[in-house]
Amino acid sequence: MSEALFTQDIVKDTLVAIADEMFDAMVRTSMSPVIYETNDFAVGITDADGILIAQGSGDAGFLATLDTAVQALLARNQGTKKIFPNDVFMTNMPYEGGGTHLSDITIMIPVFFEGVLVAWAVNKAHWTEVGGAHAGSVSTEATEIFQEGLQFPFVKLFDQGHLNDVLVAVIRANVRLPESTLGDMYAGIAAARVGERRLVELIARYGAGVVLASMDAFLDYGESMTRSALRKLPRGVYEAEDVVEHDGLGNGPFKICVKVTIAAERIVADFTGTDRQAQGPINCSFSGLVTAARCVLASIASSEAPVNGGSFRLLEVICPPGTLVSAQSPAPVSVYYEPLVAAIDLMWKALACAAPDRLPAGHMRSVCVVFISGMHPETGELFVLSEPLVGGWGAASYRDGDNGQFSCGNGDTCNVPVELFESRYGLRVEQYAFHSEAGGAGRFRGGKGVILDYRVLGEEVFVTYAATRCVEPPWALSGGRPGSLNRLEILRLDGRLDTYTMCTRLRVRRGELIRLITATGGGFGDPRERPRGAIEADLRDGFVTMQQAIDDYGYTRSETWEGMSG
Amino acid sequence: MIRAATDVGGTFTDIVFYTIDSLTGQVGPVSGAKVDTTSPRYDIGVMGAIAKAQIAPADIEFFAHGATIVINTITERSGARVGLITTRGFRDVLEIARGNRPDLFNFDFHKPKPFVPRHLRVELAERCTCTGEIEQPAALESLPEVLAFFRREGVESIAVCFLHAYVNSANESAVVARIRHLWPEVSVLPSHAVSGEWREYERTSTVVLSAYVHPIVQRYVESLDQSLSMAGLRQSPFMMLSSGGISTAAAVKSNPISMVESGPASGLYAATRLGSVLGKPNLMVLDIGGTTAKCALVKDGKIALTTSYYVERTRQSPGYPIQTPVSDLVEIGNGGGSIAWVDRGGKLHVGPKSAGALPGPIGYGRGGEDPTTTDANLLLGRIDPDQFCGGQVQPNLEAVRTAFEVLGASLGISAIETARGVIRIANANMATALRRVSTHKGYDPRDFALVAFGGGGPMHAVALAEELKIPEVIVPANSSVFSAWGMLLTDLRHDFVRTRLLPLTDSGAAQILEQLLAMRAEAAATFLRDVTSCDEHALRFEFFVDMRYVGQEHTVRVPVEPDQIVGHVTAIAERFHRVYEQRFTYRLVADIQVVNFHVAATCPVPKPDWPQKRITGYVLQDALTGTRAVDFGLLGEHDTPIFDGLRLDPTMATQGPAIIQEPNVTLVISPGHHLSVDAYGNYRVRLVDSTADTRSRS
Repeated sequence: MSEALFTQDIVKDTLVAIADEMFDAMVRTSMSPVIYETNDFAVGITDADGILIAQGSGDAGFLATLDTAVQALLARNQGTKKIFPNDVFMTNMPYEGGGTHLSDITIMIPVFFEGVLVAWAVNKAHWTEVGGAHAGSVSTEATEIFQEGLQFPFVKLFDQGHLNDVLVAVIRANVRLPESTLGDMYAGIAAARVGERRLVELIARYGAGVVLASMDAFLDYGESMTRSALRKLPRGVYEAEDVVEHDGLGNGPFKICVKVTIAAERIVADFTGTDRQAQGPINCSFSGLVTAARCVLASIASSEAPVNGGSFRLLEVICPPGTLVSAQSPAPVSVYYEPLVAAIDLMWKALACAAPDRLPAGHMRSVCVVFISGMHPETGELFVLSEPLVGGWGAASYRDGDNGQFSCGNGDTCNVPVELFESRYGLRVEQYAFHSEAGGAGRFRGGKGVILDYRVLGEEVFVTYAATRCVEPPWALSGGRPGSLNRLEILRLDGRLDTYTMCTRLRVRRGELIRLITATGGGFGDPRERPRGAIEADLRDGFVTMQQAIDDYGYTRSETWEGMSG
Repeated sequence: MIRAATDVGGTFTDIVFYTIDSLTGQVGPVSGAKVDTTSPRYDIGVMGAIAKAQIAPADIEFFAHGATIVINTITERSGARVGLITTRGFRDVLEIARGNRPDLFNFDFHKPKPFVPRHLRVELAERCTCTGEIEQPAALESLPEVLAFFRREGVESIAVCFLHAYVNSANESAVVARIRHLWPEVSVLPSHAVSGEWREYERTSTVVLSAYVHPIVQRYVESLDQSLSMAGLRQSPFMMLSSGGISTAAAVKSNPISMVESGPASGLYAATRLGSVLGKPNLMVLDIGGTTAKCALVKDGKIALTTSYYVERTRQSPGYPIQTPVSDLVEIGNGGGSIAWVDRGGKLHVGPKSAGALPGPIGYGRGGEDPTTTDANLLLGRIDPDQFCGGQVQPNLEAVRTAFEVLGASLGISAIETARGVIRIANANMATALRRVSTHKGYDPRDFALVAFGGGGPMHAVALAEELKIPEVIVPANSSVFSAWGMLLTDLRHDFVRTRLLPLTDSGAAQILEQLLAMRAEAAATFLRDVTSCDEHALRFEFFVDMRYVGQEHTVRVPVEPDQIVGHVTAIAERFHRVYEQRFTYRLVADIQVVNFHVAATCPVPKPDWPQKRITGYVLQDALTGTRAVDFGLLGEHDTPIFDGLRLDPTMATQGPAIIQEPNVTLVISPGHHLSVDAYGNYRVRLVDSTADTRSRS
């Protein structure tokens, strides 16, 4: 009996190791910096029914996208009759299972053993280009999905091992960077095939019965880990409300609200009451909302718990269709990640008082993605960059917030090194530093946001930018002060300073400066209770100015401060 | 004359040596000794080891030394107070790091704390472009003020990292020269001296950690050198590097971070040499110590080097990157002292927490209360209680059994079943690590032999080989001092790695060649400067280029030869496609770009022939010390013959189940497999692949 138990444990660990290997294969084969540097992707394994078994970490924001995509595929095919060995499926449909925005493509490979469908190897990754009205396939001005790029409705990319040449030709003809786009496609296939091969080996080693039983046991294990975490939370109903400021077309603010019920063996997140879907592209579909709720649950459950379908059995997500976080066709969705991150932050805010050891005060709450395109001044070739930004995180009951970390919707996301950035794009980076804007004061201080300056070296570039938390700052806890705001500034040649929170294809000319600023996180506790030594350390480090120390912390100057380049 | 090597480990300091008859050149037998490591004055232990070995330092003509001082200084946070000088606008690069959160659902995540606090990170006006043009020379005039501030703040060591210094280091060099002039006694290191690669955060982190350990390593090497020379040693010691080579004390003092992973490197190197002696160029290497297990792959007699190395990196933490050449190995928190525990979901885990050397496993009787892998091996009869820790400790088996009963109670199983589970989970963890160096990279374990050493290596190796279908296990003679032995087998070495983007085209080939030749000249000059005895004609060079498809970031390393570049672009491209396809399953029709150049230069050191084991004249029966019941997990309990390894002569052979014991080695051979002893005294286990599949499905 114990032998079977440990065999199951070993199979579970192997399933996680397979997801890790798929992750590695994806990073190393991708053609797009947004995948290989910012890790804007996820890989995983589901069982034959599309229940998530193991997921390789890339972005937190993809947590409900792999399994629900397989489930939607099965629903569309009314089961498995049309699914064969060596098929490869592809989808980016936003309103169905797995949906985010059109740039994120899901690749699904059915895994067969002795002719029987036993599992799926899946990944989803952000391709730099899928066509549409604007380079980079994201705009803040779209009013319909059709402006945002190609749609691949659960199509077969390979049919029993035969590549769908017509589909590839259509993609090649409709995207701006076909080599990169098709390279990403092949990377996705390679990563999924690694998963397929390893699963087949695992089954050959232990037998299908043992592996499938281990998958089920792994789901039960996930459930039991989550259950024990939930037990630590005080039962009750927790509510929160917030806004997503605008939709890019001048509409807004949009209210989002949640009621979280923690019961004995259940957690229910009800987003009823959230505003209707927007005219502009700041909508996310229901699978994005499920991702949001799962992220918060995983965050409470601690890092030891596996992230699999069993862990989410106790979670119920409710929202009527057609809201900002449950958008329906043909709502534009290219900036879907902003309402998704807002939904995470909202549920987190609701539960912060219930799980103070796991949830600090509010963070920058925006992915702050910037898209810049133009001609490289040296090579004359088109470049399209898209990158999320780091910002400040909130303070907790026992420590200051973290400085300069990617948002809760990201994860193992890495910034692009300045030295690579400058070699690749026609821009010079002049500053990448923490700023000292006011905000986030507290007994424990919010983490600092950053300031990032790009000087345009070519004739012109075009900037697309979308951020929230540009009016309502990150929230504080227990008497701390709210954080600061996200924004884009353009320093024009004539000395004018333009500020934006959303823009599409904004023209910026040679010599002008693109300045990106991210928010400082919320504080925890009364700033007047911050120890003098900590305030003085902040002064020395330049995290707090003397004026802020006096105004926010009640600091009284006692000596002169000496520091370098602070 | 004597050639000797000392290896300072966490618990023991080992010495290995042999004599050479100065008249005949005849090589004598290899001997060794062990003493306790003396932290923090490691040199005392080194001198103690020499004394215990009863050799006169004056007779030593060659002395190699491996130290853990760099990694210990970093993990214990006992380094110097560092000031960092960066390009204006970029002092926070060190703290922003890559901004990532590997523990992605942990909203209470905190990045590892930077080694230099913000107020000691100072910016200087200067700028170099990505193509290497100096747009703005460094503002040297502000240095006196910066240095005055650093002095006031008690800074002991200065790191300088400017953007694009990997293409043009002029500004860094100018600043460092001025600092040396203004403040001669301070430690100062520019980033280009420790890494020639791009990625400013990784390079900054590397130079900061180098500066952090620099004064400590300098003092250490000097005091060791002094102790040795006072004792009569005539030549400075050579220091073991992470790259698997050795270097002069002077070179190590100017680039201390090059020693960061020297311990594992020498063991790996010894395994590689052993492979070449045995005609086995393809090996998987497993070194199981008290706290961790390390795995690496040797292909065609070579260990791959990587410069993507991290300290303190886990699944939850990004750790700290160090861009220095390090043997490409996977290290997991799974050693003899790893603690077994059951989580809230009822799942059994082994490690990564370790009982370490103190209190150690329960069996040590030093107050350890948590059951470890070693304890499971004891309870299952795999370790001989009478020979535990070289026979110096009589383990309390009742305490061990009780601990496994308690652990098993939460799973509803017996102590023995729990101990079996611990061994299986520990083996599964190690098998995963071995897969990461083999199957994950496109290699089939069936094409390799497994070399196992370290305290736990021989205990687990056969089971791991069964799992991975590796046909042969080799446990080297003297496996417990294998790392020190490796230092006597390696050569003087320098690695030069530079980032330079060049197209792999007919027109780019000349520049590729030019870059490699320039680096070769630099390597030769370095050797001639560092090693007076070095003969330029004796130098050997290996050349590698890191290549990728245009548009990709990550690269694949491919060996090249300078005389096979110009006019051979197609052949090089084909080699790249092949390596790439093996690793990633597909190839692209796309342009290829060279990103990094790597020149490894070695200056050969005389080495002994691999020593043969002396024939004792015993017969197999003389080595049999008895039998005991040993639990082989899924294969059940067997009455198992126990052999004294010291009495086993070359050509002797037997079959599992069997256990071979030496004072610091326990080799566990499960039923059916064939053991033989080769001419060098290595244990060779040939696996019989019959049971694996049927057994696991039952």
